Amino acid sequence: MPPSPYAVDVRDLGIRYNLNLTRRTTLKGSLAEWVGRKQQVGRHFWALRHVNFRIEHGESLGILGPNGAGKSTLLLALAGILAPDEGSVTMSGRVSSLLTLGAGFEMEISGRENIFLIGGFMGIRHRVMLELSPSIIEFAGIGAFIDAPVRTYSSGMRARLGFAIATAIAPDILLLDEVLGTGDEEFRGRSQQRIREMVARAKAIVLVTHDLSTVTEFCNRAILMELGQVLFEGSPQDTVEFYRERVQERKRRLAEAAPEPLAPAPPPAVLSPPTVLPPPALLDQPAS
Amino acid sequence: MLPFRLPMIPPVRAVPDARPAAADRPLGFRELFRRLDSVRLVTRGFVDLRTRGRLLQHLVGTDLKRTHADTVVGQLWWLIDPFFSMAIYSILVTVVFQRSIADAPLFLFAAILPWQWFQTSLQDATTSVTGRGNLIRQIQFPKLVLPAASTVAGTLTFFFGLLSLALLYLLYPGRLSLWLLTIPVIAAVQFVFTLALGILFSALNTFYRDVQNLLRHATRIWFYMSPAIYAASDLKGSAFSYVLALNPFTYILTSYRNVAYYNRPPDFVALAVVLALSLVLLAFSIWVFKRLETGFAKIL
Repeated sequence: MPPSPYAVDVRDLGIRYNLNLTRRTTLKGSLAEWVGRKQQVGRHFWALRHVNFRIEHGESLGILGPNGAGKSTLLLALAGILAPDEGSVTMSGRVSSLLTLGAGFEMEISGRENIFLIGGFMGIRHRVMLELSPSIIEFAGIGAFIDAPVRTYSSGMRARLGFAIATAIAPDILLLDEVLGTGDEEFRGRSQQRIREMVARAKAIVLVTHDLSTVTEFCNRAILMELGQVLFEGSPQDTVEFYRERVQERKRRLAEAAPEPLAPAPPPAVLSPPTVLPPPALLDQPAS
Repeated sequence: MLPFRLPMIPPVRAVPDARPAAADRPLGFRELFRRLDSVRLVTRGFVDLRTRGRLLQHLVGTDLKRTHADTVVGQLWWLIDPFFSMAIYSILVTVVFQRSIADAPLFLFAAILPWQWFQTSLQDATTSVTGRGNLIRQIQFPKLVLPAASTVAGTLTFFFGLLSLALLYLLYPGRLSLWLLTIPVIAAVQFVFTLALGILFSALNTFYRDVQNLLRHATRIWFYMSPAIYAASDLKGSAFSYVLALNPFTYILTSYRNVAYYNRPPDFVALAVVLALSLVLLAFSIWVFKRLETGFAKIL
């Protein structure tokens, strides 16, 4: 196959959640359905549908959209964690995702051991991890805690270690999900510095954020998503402007459609006087 | 308001399906194709395990450290645990049921130790995927390493437990025999069987959490239907002996007891049959697992 001119090539992507299964199915429910041959139509939810976009090498794409638009699902699909139910996702190069940081730590083992464990999950060779671990430990900057069980870490320390591991290897394609504000002031400065380095080195970047100024600063293109579909695609400035106007428009329409102010709440019901429980009866009364 | 929309790249809506419709393909080929596809899935499963050896190693280490973290005697529990259960069953069998078994502690220990390996490994493997939902939603990796690591960790614990079996021979030196050296062979058969069930149940448990609950009771019933606190020969002629004949653990536990208690060779023929069936089950389990694997991230 000839090398793709695109770093990321998403065609007609659809990701479908089965509402039956996400509800934490029990065997009983499934058996009842199976026996009753109930139709399962309409029990699916398309988190993404007919999503098309391509990112050329050297581009940086921002993804905007309200909560529930499918932005995070899209990142999971780009990272290869969710398989497409429709269409295709083609990534050319090593993908690294900075999704929820540090959530995968093993609590009972030390930070140092976690570095190697997560490195193994990420598919990084042990030899490479041996070389990288000193710089990871140094970057996390959690001192002697590195040899203590992760269970004893503060949430900030966990986030720092998670960030240090996730950014240890510079990927070709970088997926970022709201990670630009981790830890205290000092660490945030260093982490933004490192993100900037990775951005400079990566062949392509996909960035999901609610911070509109980040998009105009980091990206050279942006898309606006809503309800699992791409609504707008353009320069960051245009997309941000379009998004802002859409939000304004929605607010105005909501204000117009708002009903009369709610009637005052009814006075609280008078509490019934406390009932006095009879003393507990003893089963075996001592013979007197 | 912007006067126009800016589509940088024209959207591609419908990607034509590369495969011909099912009806267009010749019939025999379709079947063959499907079968080859399954074989590919199973081999990919084995490749997953082989190429992620180092990850497996880290996971096993984590499992072992986690089990007895923060205990006073720490890893000594690997020796103490089997002793306690052996003592409990010894009292149950000899005092409560009034059965006179020569050297009862050794008789029981030879079967209970491997059984506990099976039970804990299977339970750990079953919950191994559901217990790492966070990670599965974060990193893409072959999930097959999770049940495999639980089973391997259980196996190491079993081999530590063999040290306490060795200590027991201080009391019964007359029962020592060279056949004890075949324990790794019996353990290998049991390992394949345990791994196969663990992989299957871990995949099913992701979709139906009932599996882990059912399993608790099922293993319990299974224990009493296996010749652990009695000998298979005790039930010769009874209707129950047919149940025993179908139970792979009848052959596994009897083999352990042969080498550890009776100074006899293990039942090699039966073990070979169990191994063959376990390998078939393993291939089936890996196939099921690989089929369901892509859905894990969605429902965890």
